[in-house]
Amino acid sequence: MGIKVVERHGNTFLEKIYLHAIFGGMKTTLKHFTANLSDASNIPTICYPEQLPRDITPRYRGVHRLTHRKEDDSIACVACFMCATACPANCIDIVAIAREDGVDEKMPQRFNIDLLECVFCGYCVEACPCDAIRMDTGIYSVIGDNREDFIYNKEKLLSIKGISEEEYSLAK
Amino acid sequence: MNTILILLPLVLTILYSLATVPILVWMERRIAALIQDRLGPNRCHINGIRLGGIIQSVADMMKLVFKEEFWPSHIKNRFYYLVAPSIAFMSAFLTFMVIPYADNVTINDTIYTMQALPTELGVLWFLAFAGLGVYGIILGGWASHNKYAILGAMRATAQVIGYEVAMGLSLVSMLITYGTISLNEMVTYQAQSFFIIPAWGIVLQPIATIIFIVTAFAETNRAPFDAAEGESEIVAGYHTEYGAMKFGLFFVAEYIAMAASGALIVTIFLGGYQLPYLSTTDLINNFELVLWLIIAFAVVSSFVFLKWMRKHNIFAMTGLNETKVYTTIIIGFTIFAIMVMSYYALGIGHASEVGVMLLQFAIFTVKLFFLHFVFIWVRWTLPRFRYDQTQKLGWNILLPLSLVNIFITAIVVVGVNYGN
Repeated sequence: MGIKVVERHGNTFLEKIYLHAIFGGMKTTLKHFTANLSDASNIPTICYPEQLPRDITPRYRGVHRLTHRKEDDSIACVACFMCATACPANCIDIVAIAREDGVDEKMPQRFNIDLLECVFCGYCVEACPCDAIRMDTGIYSVIGDNREDFIYNKEKLLSIKGISEEEYSLAK
Repeated sequence: MNTILILLPLVLTILYSLATVPILVWMERRIAALIQDRLGPNRCHINGIRLGGIIQSVADMMKLVFKEEFWPSHIKNRFYYLVAPSIAFMSAFLTFMVIPYADNVTINDTIYTMQALPTELGVLWFLAFAGLGVYGIILGGWASHNKYAILGAMRATAQVIGYEVAMGLSLVSMLITYGTISLNEMVTYQAQSFFIIPAWGIVLQPIATIIFIVTAFAETNRAPFDAAEGESEIVAGYHTEYGAMKFGLFFVAEYIAMAASGALIVTIFLGGYQLPYLSTTDLINNFELVLWLIIAFAVVSSFVFLKWMRKHNIFAMTGLNETKVYTTIIIGFTIFAIMVMSYYALGIGHASEVGVMLLQFAIFTVKLFFLHFVFIWVRWTLPRFRYDQTQKLGWNILLPLSLVNIFITAIVVVGVNYGN
């Protein structure tokens, strides 16, 4: 009881002359080769610019977006600076102003994310108490001609749509 | 005609060794990709023409040529450092010189040898230059003044010493069987058949064949015996300090050495340029029938290829329409070849001799590329042998086995001769 004898391989004559195992392996690789040569459609490679990835889920950390409130479609962010504090790359730049419409006390006047500095860690999403910032857009490629194109401002972040089912902020 | 026939084997040597390197690199990548369920290189193109990815290896070679010639400052023996890749390249290239690409052609009572170097000492030449190839690796490793490089060079040396012996001895048993050291006579010997089996080296001497193929892998430092450049342990082995075209020469030399070993395996063990059951005289006498068979084969194979290409060439590139271009070229070429062949089939002058020679080039090429496929196939199937396993296999198994094989061969040959 308790003693487990592990079977050792490689000591029989057939295994010592290698050839048997080598031909077995070559048979396997040849099978793959002929199957792929006669019908390349089974190869899982995605030819990227023509075919787009099919496995992007809402949990994929893509480009950020700012959510809206369900009641009046206004910005959900209350400019608490939690995300900017949590950010390890210091890429979030917020300037707060008082909110005059009575929905809440504060809102951001400026909310810039520098995507060239962002490391897409998702800490800002975790830190946010209002579910105001999310990374569920599924956007994996950001393109621009100059550095200014990569600084997304408040209007841009509010206009991006997410791919998850919850479109509005889930905060009460 | 005279000059052309003398220069032809030289040109073929350059074609088989240098011009096939981009194709071999492409084959290596594509076969590796298909074995591993990937696609391989398929983007690089010249105005929409990709040739299935061959343009990629041309681009890689251009990149190596135009890269900066970098001299590491710690290298003291610059001459040896520079000459090492050239030695590796030259010896690999020279190995090819003795391979017969076709049978001797007799036109107007003049015999033309289809070897770049018309010598009878084929096997000895091969052994000499195949062994010299490792000098480039040793010199490169030593002159690089780098621990990893010298380790790689040491590994290559010890491995080549061990496997050269078994390779030479397995060749000795083939020499006893054929009774000649001229490669062309060996191929002529393989044209005969025993009962219904063609008397190829692989049938006469299966053990020598296996030993020779295994040692050829080790001799050319190809997987599974590529411990000399084992990137998981010693960075890149002997070419760690090399860059640009100096590395390119090592890289090309490896492929040419592989091609040369493949050519020798084809010549000695796979019947060289011979078709089974058909000697050169048979082919010349029935040349018309052979031509019609080739025409039928050309039509069927180009039809199959066209169908395959139309199914798989799906991503359109900018520029020319690739599928259309290939279809036009293949159909046009097939029609042109059929017209030429049917013109010759009506019979003029030495058409049959020259035609059979071209046919034998083609057969040799097909066999050679099959061997290349096997080399690549093995590389992407087997993991690298551990270094002590390599040595053990060479000295403890292959060497005694080849010695025993020589004794048995000699006994059989003497017995058969005595019986006659």
